[in-house]
Amino acid sequence: MEMVFIAAALIIGLGALGAGIGFGLLGGKLLESTARQPELGNQLQTKAFIMAGLLDAVPMIGVGIAMYLIFVVAG
Amino acid sequence: MSPTRKRINRLPFLQWLAIETGLIVVLSLVWFTESRLAGYSAFVGGLIFVIPNAYFAHRMYRFEGAQHAHLVVGNMFRAETIKLALTAVFFAAVFILMEPVHVPALLFTFAVMVALGPLLRWFIRPKPQR
Repeated sequence: MEMVFIAAALIIGLGALGAGIGFGLLGGKLLESTARQPELGNQLQTKAFIMAGLLDAVPMIGVGIAMYLIFVVAG
Repeated sequence: MSPTRKRINRLPFLQWLAIETGLIVVLSLVWFTESRLAGYSAFVGGLIFVIPNAYFAHRMYRFEGAQHAHLVVGNMFRAETIKLALTAVFFAAVFILMEPVHVPALLFTFAVMVALGPLLRWFIRPKPQR
């Protein structure tokens, strides 16, 4: 039973780590490129918004599976 | 600082919501052929995606333009954190409160919506109002 909780913790933790690194890079690049070319700020924001959706796809599914493990498999 | 009064982009918020809800209904009807519970679970799985994402879109476009770039990035981080937390809370609530639940239908619909969400936002992008 403990292994299920460890698995859920690994899924959520590694997902959060990946999303954190990805969002850090995305936000940093957005700031950098907006400072370089302010007139493109709008388009860059839209592209960052779309990329954010792609970036958090795997962590979101991971959260769903982890909640299933915690509340259904172990519960 | 208060949000920008004059919008730069026109956010197709209602269009996104309508298309996503339509997709959820179609997927639910497909699962409904297996059982009534599967259809209902699929609908709930879709809603778990739509509600946090609507919040994310609303929060991300609270500030716009190069002048507010730092606020855009800050809001993006906060919106993402709250979106993941909302997803976890909704899943936990469904697994605790909704009994019984068809887990494959729930997770499959959620995963399909997660994959289709960015595609939808790519094809129907926020457009500048000028």
